[in-house]
Amino acid sequence: MQSAELAQKVMLFMVVLLPIELLAATDVFQGARQQMVLNQIKARGVSNPKVLAAMQQVPRHRFVPTNMIARAYADRPLPIGEGQTISQPYIVALMTAALKLEGRERVLEIGTGSGYQAAILAEIAAEVYTIEIKTKLYHRATGLLSDLGYAGIKTRSGDGYFGWPEAAPFDAIMITAAVDHIPPPLIKQLKDGGRLILPLGNPLSYQNLVLVSKSGDDVTVKQITGVLFVPMTGHALER
Amino acid sequence: MPWSASRNIVAIPPILATVLVMSLSSLAFEVLLARIFAISQWNHLSFMVISIALFGFASSGTYLNLAGLSSRSQLQDWLNARRLVILISLYSASALIAFITLTHMPLDYFRLPFEAAQAVYLLSAYLLTALPFFCTGLIIALAYASFPAKTGSVYLATMVGSAGGALLPAIALSLFGEGRLFCAISLLPLGLVPLYLPQAPAHQFHAADDDHQPPRYFLGRWFLSTIIGLLIFFSTFIIPEYKFLHIKPSHYKALHQVLQFPDTNITQTEHHLRGRVDTINSPFIRFAPGLSLKFTETLPRTSALYLDGDNASHLYHVKSWPNNRFARATLAYAGYTLHPNPQHVLVVQNAGGAAAACALASGAGDITLVHPRSNIAKQIDQFYPIQIVTEQPRAFLANTSNQFDIIHIEDWGTSLAGTAALNQSHLLTINALTAYWQHLTTQGVIIISRKLLLPPAESLRLWATAYTSLRQQGLPDPERHIIMLRNWDTFTLLVTRQPSENLAVIRNFANRYNFDLMYAPHLNPCEVNRFNVFDQPFHYAALTELANAYQTETEQTFFDKYLLDVVPQTDDRPFPDRYLKWVKIKNFHQSMGNRIYTLILSSEVVVMVVLVEALVIAVILLMAPLIYIRKRLQPPAISHIVYFLAVGAGFMFVELYFIKAFTLLFGNPVVSLTVVLGGVLIFSGAGGYWATRAGIRRLSPVLAILILFLFALVFFNETLLSAILTLPVFYRYAWAVVMLFPISFLMGAPFSLGMRYLLSSPGQRAYAWAANGSASVLAAIAAAQMALSIGIQFILAGAIAAYIVAGACVRRLLAAN
Repeated sequence: MQSAELAQKVMLFMVVLLPIELLAATDVFQGARQQMVLNQIKARGVSNPKVLAAMQQVPRHRFVPTNMIARAYADRPLPIGEGQTISQPYIVALMTAALKLEGRERVLEIGTGSGYQAAILAEIAAEVYTIEIKTKLYHRATGLLSDLGYAGIKTRSGDGYFGWPEAAPFDAIMITAAVDHIPPPLIKQLKDGGRLILPLGNPLSYQNLVLVSKSGDDVTVKQITGVLFVPMTGHALER
Repeated sequence: MPWSASRNIVAIPPILATVLVMSLSSLAFEVLLARIFAISQWNHLSFMVISIALFGFASSGTYLNLAGLSSRSQLQDWLNARRLVILISLYSASALIAFITLTHMPLDYFRLPFEAAQAVYLLSAYLLTALPFFCTGLIIALAYASFPAKTGSVYLATMVGSAGGALLPAIALSLFGEGRLFCAISLLPLGLVPLYLPQAPAHQFHAADDDHQPPRYFLGRWFLSTIIGLLIFFSTFIIPEYKFLHIKPSHYKALHQVLQFPDTNITQTEHHLRGRVDTINSPFIRFAPGLSLKFTETLPRTSALYLDGDNASHLYHVKSWPNNRFARATLAYAGYTLHPNPQHVLVVQNAGGAAAACALASGAGDITLVHPRSNIAKQIDQFYPIQIVTEQPRAFLANTSNQFDIIHIEDWGTSLAGTAALNQSHLLTINALTAYWQHLTTQGVIIISRKLLLPPAESLRLWATAYTSLRQQGLPDPERHIIMLRNWDTFTLLVTRQPSENLAVIRNFANRYNFDLMYAPHLNPCEVNRFNVFDQPFHYAALTELANAYQTETEQTFFDKYLLDVVPQTDDRPFPDRYLKWVKIKNFHQSMGNRIYTLILSSEVVVMVVLVEALVIAVILLMAPLIYIRKRLQPPAISHIVYFLAVGAGFMFVELYFIKAFTLLFGNPVVSLTVVLGGVLIFSGAGGYWATRAGIRRLSPVLAILILFLFALVFFNETLLSAILTLPVFYRYAWAVVMLFPISFLMGAPFSLGMRYLLSSPGQRAYAWAANGSASVLAAIAAAQMALSIGIQFILAGAIAAYIVAGACVRRLLAAN
């Protein structure tokens, strides 16, 4: 009985999972990625060449669950387990572009999730620090980023609310979710002239993309745009 | 003796008992269904329950007509003990299955536009939950149709049972929780089964006498009674809240999201008719709406209580209280800077928690926090050394002569804008602002903080509310008493007792914490969009336009032209979160990026969808038997149909009016619903019983007196409600019941007299039952829309119109007879 089950699993791996894994590894998705950059990002007004190049470079399909690979480059967020999502490609590009990174910056990301956003940031910035509150996601993202050659990204498992004081100050900070206020420690860890971006609102409905800038004693907030995520809830999130 | 061998004609006493218990169970089932929808979806989805009940009840009358049970002998043949036992058992089984299916089905109505499967889930939920109502409706319709001489008794049993069903969850929910109570009320009617057990073969039931039954029948009845009793006892008292009985909150609600954090769990759940309260223990809860970005210290540790999975109340741990300086860096604290050393502070809190922190940070000597929910107030009391009062805040103000330096109102609403549009709240109406104002000391300040919406909505409405309230009190220049500030996602309204001549204090506060002014006398436009930058100063521009409109007395033109409904709310139209304008729905849809589900989020759209859906169902249920009967028998006259439609609508309009009007007295719509349902159903049951004994000649005078009473209510309701609001709690309940009595008693007569005397065949009675049920539900939904759009008093106008139509029909019907 057990050997039959084992044989069944091997067959499943050979017939279904192996081709998908091979596809994922050999990056046959380059065309899809190009289309994504062209139709979803550039067409919507994101023109920063560094951002576009990063979006073209990072294999997004490696950051989504195997059963979602076919939809990796779709114009929508996707569930990655643990109740979290990988953001819509356009939102990733928009948020990255809003930070106006030149290449010398030290960036902190709160909410590693799949690791995709950290990889995009690493393509542009000099140093990337990322914190994930969920242990499973932290381990998964750390392993994947390392496999993909992003070993320079420093990952940490913990509460992003308090930032990364040892590595502060940061030129830019990116938060993937906030509730009703921007964590004071993060403002404190922002350099003078630094920028912090976050989507505000219910993570499962609509948010405002907000850019915070620190200049001397003053901190200003600029509403960039309203973003409306397709609801991804219930059993979809639990998968 | 096998049941099939016995004809088992049922006598009236067991039928009355069955009608009573089934009515009780069905109404409790309906209330609990509403609770399930309120927790697992959103409050406004509980509206669907009314439509479900209609479908079940009205379809039972239609079924009787379609089944061809048109003569009394056919009916009595059909109405035998075996069928009743089957119907009761079907009720219990379907109610249980409906509950378990509903709590486990991945129904998510937000995803309806995207997933075809959701339509299947919705339809299945609808049909499954309607089945228990169908069973009950069938039994009641059969009772009316089979025993026309006992119409008064059947009516009384229905009403008393329903009243019991309305009251039962109020008492039992906190003891057993939703899941176990659901099991108990679903199984309760099984207790009737022994009444219909086969008796000695030679006897028919109505002639049977237990004392002369052979022992085996007697023992059999006892055995079955014991089994059923044990089953109900086990499900109510012994069975724990297993996972399959637990109602999970919507994934969109704040509770679901906070539970995603590690080391976060529910430490306590309290079930109550007013809502389920979950206490959360998590190291990751941090609550500080309106916190300045210049505050860089640590927030105190925080706990949270979630009402029906949302509307969180936050509590700061006293041990970390030295960190309460954060409160001084919140937007709302601007009000405290205008009165730096307040002695007496009143905090009116519905959801939130930062207001209490602000009051404590101000160092005020005397802080009173009023919270309408006792279970949350109790928890707050354990955290803070302040005076906690459990009371409907408006009633508290009506009963106190104390004056306050600061009155701070905090209610952040639901986590998704639009889902609270149907929520009735008397904290942000013109009347409420007037009450706050009248309790301010000469230097006092009112503080109200809310979410900042775009396009501007609530900021405009609250400004207009404050302005109107001050103008009504005779202030020559209300705009000089109003200040508004904002950060990036909240705003604060300040209403000052003294005109704000010197803005230096507020300007310094705003500069210090990087807040922007939105409205103040002599405001410089360069101050309005500095730190929290929008593409344009949308809020300032809209507020300035509104203020100009008020000063030129063209505010109505402004309200008519504006994209959203931002008209200030009154106690007669107390829906502060409702903004949708039907005439501008297309523009609104466009402004939200043409996303269909922004409309689905709006409660009001859901009401309209349910109304259309109920209308379609009602037409089908009422037309189908007419077409069928016309082929074989004489259908009911148009006057009959209109009469029962009018009586059903009138009854429901009055009931809905009282529920909405009494919410001001009790501070909670569910408490109001319980009191009104209990009172109206019992009194109208008594009225119906009296009327059938008094005879048909009473019908016209009863209708005339009822209409007179309703007219009187139109003229005196505001005075009466204001007077009752000033009374202590017990007297408020007592006077509410006194107000209910005459009208409810009279309302019982038209239906029971009509069923008894105006109809001649069981088929007509079954049809009248369906018509009455359909009209009741359509009226309930229409009443909700009327209250939202034009005001609660207009529901009474609907009731008066309905009873006038009924009166006109009576004249025709009596003349024809």
